[in-house]
Amino acid sequence: MEFVVLVKQVPDTTEVKVDPKTGTLIRDGVPSILNPFDQFALEEALRLREKIKDRIPVNVTVISMGPPQAKTAIMKCLALGADKGILLSDRTFAGADTWATSLTLAEAVKKLGKFDIVFCGQQAIDGDTAQVGPEVAQLLGIPQVTYVDSILGFENNKITVRSLTDDGYRVVEVKLPMLLTCSTPSSFEPSNPSMAAILKANKKPFEIWTAETLGGDKSKFGLSGSPTQVSRVYSPPVRGKGVVYKENIEEGIKKVVEALMDKKVI
Amino acid sequence: MDYTFTEEQEMIRQSVREFAERKIAPIALKMEETKEIPMDIVKGMAELGIIAPTASPDYGGVGFDAVTCTIVAEELARADPTGSIPVFYLIQASWGHVLNKYGTHECKSEVFPRVTKGDWFLGIATTESDAGSDLGSTRTRITPTEKGYVVNGEKMYISGVREAYNRGGGHVTIAKQTPELGTRGMTLFYLPLQVKGITPTYVDDLGREGISTGGFTIDNVEIPKHYLIGEENKGFYIVHEGYEFARGLISVICASAGLKSLENGMNYIKQRKCFGTPIGKFEGIQFKLAEHYTKLSMLKDMAYKAMHTFDLEQKGKAKRFEVSKAIAMAKLFAQEWACAAIDDVMQWQGAFGYTKECPDQCAWRAVRSFGWAEGSKEVMRIIVGRELLGREFIPYR
Ligand SMILES: Cc1cc2nc3c(=O)[nH]c(=O)nc-3n(C[C@H](O)[C@H](O)[C@H](O)COP(=O)(O)OP(=O)(O)OC[C@H]3O[C@@H](n4cnc5c(N)ncnc54)[C@H](O)[C@@H]3O)c2cc1C
Ligand SMILES: Cc1cc2nc3c(=O)[nH]c(=O)nc-3n(C[C@H](O)[C@H](O)[C@H](O)COP(=O)(O)OP(=O)(O)OC[C@H]3O[C@@H](n4cnc5c(N)ncnc54)[C@H](O)[C@@H]3O)c2cc1C
Repeated sequence: MEFVVLVKQVPDTTEVKVDPKTGTLIRDGVPSILNPFDQFALEEALRLREKIKDRIPVNVTVISMGPPQAKTAIMKCLALGADKGILLSDRTFAGADTWATSLTLAEAVKKLGKFDIVFCGQQAIDGDTAQVGPEVAQLLGIPQVTYVDSILGFENNKITVRSLTDDGYRVVEVKLPMLLTCSTPSSFEPSNPSMAAILKANKKPFEIWTAETLGGDKSKFGLSGSPTQVSRVYSPPVRGKGVVYKENIEEGIKKVVEALMDKKVI
Repeated sequence: MDYTFTEEQEMIRQSVREFAERKIAPIALKMEETKEIPMDIVKGMAELGIIAPTASPDYGGVGFDAVTCTIVAEELARADPTGSIPVFYLIQASWGHVLNKYGTHECKSEVFPRVTKGDWFLGIATTESDAGSDLGSTRTRITPTEKGYVVNGEKMYISGVREAYNRGGGHVTIAKQTPELGTRGMTLFYLPLQVKGITPTYVDDLGREGISTGGFTIDNVEIPKHYLIGEENKGFYIVHEGYEFARGLISVICASAGLKSLENGMNYIKQRKCFGTPIGKFEGIQFKLAEHYTKLSMLKDMAYKAMHTFDLEQKGKAKRFEVSKAIAMAKLFAQEWACAAIDDVMQWQGAFGYTKECPDQCAWRAVRSFGWAEGSKEVMRIIVGRELLGREFIPYR
């Protein structure tokens, strides 16, 4: 059985600052990390592999699209236990919006041949659109379940997962092949690859695929394949002034409640 | 000249850093009271593979070279201001190297799997009440018997005695086998502490509270032949290889602890205001920061260069004396520069710097031990002088 995990290398946003003038992220000198949701997705895939290994042997392949440095994120996945890494890296892929990103990833998954479950993170902590997973599923023509925080069961080509919703969760049973996007539960503690696993990772298969490898018309990739264009990036200005009631607390509470009811918040 | 780490080494640093920040940093100061490294941290280090990583994979280690071990030491020192975990690490990495290179297959099969799993502790015991810098004054004796050897004597100021005595393990130990030959008659061997004839004692020292310092008397302790490390009467030479490994790690630990303290200091001087401005705006403070940062960065570079030289020697690409000199130079200023930096960081923090809540005072006490441990700073000067002028200029020969 083949599991595919799509992972993105992202700037560590806990260390990113926003340029107050341009409103864009200042990425200089900011360390790159494996998107935390993707590490959870990978660890879910590895846990499931471990659980069913006596019945069904599983191969876990990690795919990432990004610049050559994104290899680091893939190497981490290999050290954590993935079997094979593929980096989609080519100047042609640059400037992709979520559509072109998803298309490139979907073509890579198809090129692998057989796939049973595609694991994604819920969202990338830099782009934050949460679009890539669902788009890839659509392009592959397979069912998808989003915001999955745990895998409940697995049998005979069918998986049962718990998917978070705005006001709770639902339990969904899906036939394979399928795609899921993973939401990290608060209890999740990411693993550190061991020294021995890091040494082993270097000996695992790793490939770089270019536009040439994926084939077809190159204009579908990257900037030229991206229907969306960013016209401006800005932080919304802070509107309205706050009101502070200090002197008379009783009176203040009343006013706050009135104001909230006025605005139909409560 | 290539001044970069390998991709693999970068991953190792990242993984150890994440572990250290997530698991060690939050509990570090608690060790000041509990006086021990929590067992789940020891087990976590074992799972990560950083206890005696110099042991070969055949015996449960990962076969790290000196530079890679230095990376691990640097990361642990950032996270643990008490210095306990860096010490726990550095001793086992260094003496693991010696045991791995010179120990017998039987001894390694017995010791390493337990040490690398965190169950046993592997230490070093050369110092005695009358023999520290001057190893030639060692009084402990090792005598061959039919079955192996018998050892008698006493060791003092030894790290990890409680760990090995209570949990298992032992110390790479030196003793005189042929006293009339002086340093040419000393033998190195593995001495388990959980055996009849070992009585431990403990000292209450200033810092690195999570790991014990003590000593033990050795009363007619019998050990098998395969506990011999290297050849008989060659111990004095072999032991220096372990010391050099340890000294290199200590240099980076000093640099890293000092740099971490400067980070704490920078956060403080940016926000603490006196006379209406952050004190970081005063050049009297900034200049010190700049000087300490520069010195500690030099120190760190020297430590890596020295350990790189160590690795070259292991591959036959550098000479013994080059290693001794590079290592001694790296350790020579390590404790003083780091303590001076940390002392200023304490000073910047005003009265808070003198409280037990301040992690920097803890780091100062830990780093101070490296003025002696694994070879005093004066001895480092002796080594550099000797390498520059020649052995004939050693005053007491
Ligand atoms: C309108 C628009 C224009 C853009 N223009 C540019 C541009 O000009 N240049 C540019 O560099 N970027 C551009 N981007 C950013 C880039 O397209 C996105 O970062 C990328 O499409 C992924 O989207 P996301 O970060 O929101 O990921 P999400 O959709 O939030 O990610 C969800 C999951 O999809 C998977 N995934 C996402 N990205 C990858 C990847 N690269 N490889 C493997 N798996 C992945 C992961 O599993 C991830 O957890 C643009 C984005 C938008 C929305
Ligand atoms: C916290 C701690 C942990 C330790 N752990 C261990 C351990 O695990 N195993 C172990 O074997 N040892 C250990 N030691 C001992 C350490 O190795 C010795 O303290 C060190 O070698 C110095 O020996 P000494 O204390 O006997 O000082 P001495 O050798 O008596 O020296 C006293 C002073 O005189 C100086 N001096 C000596 N000769 C000269 C000279 N020619 N010129 C100028 N100055 C000179 C020394 O540098 C020192 O400052 C530890 C020490 C400490 C503080």
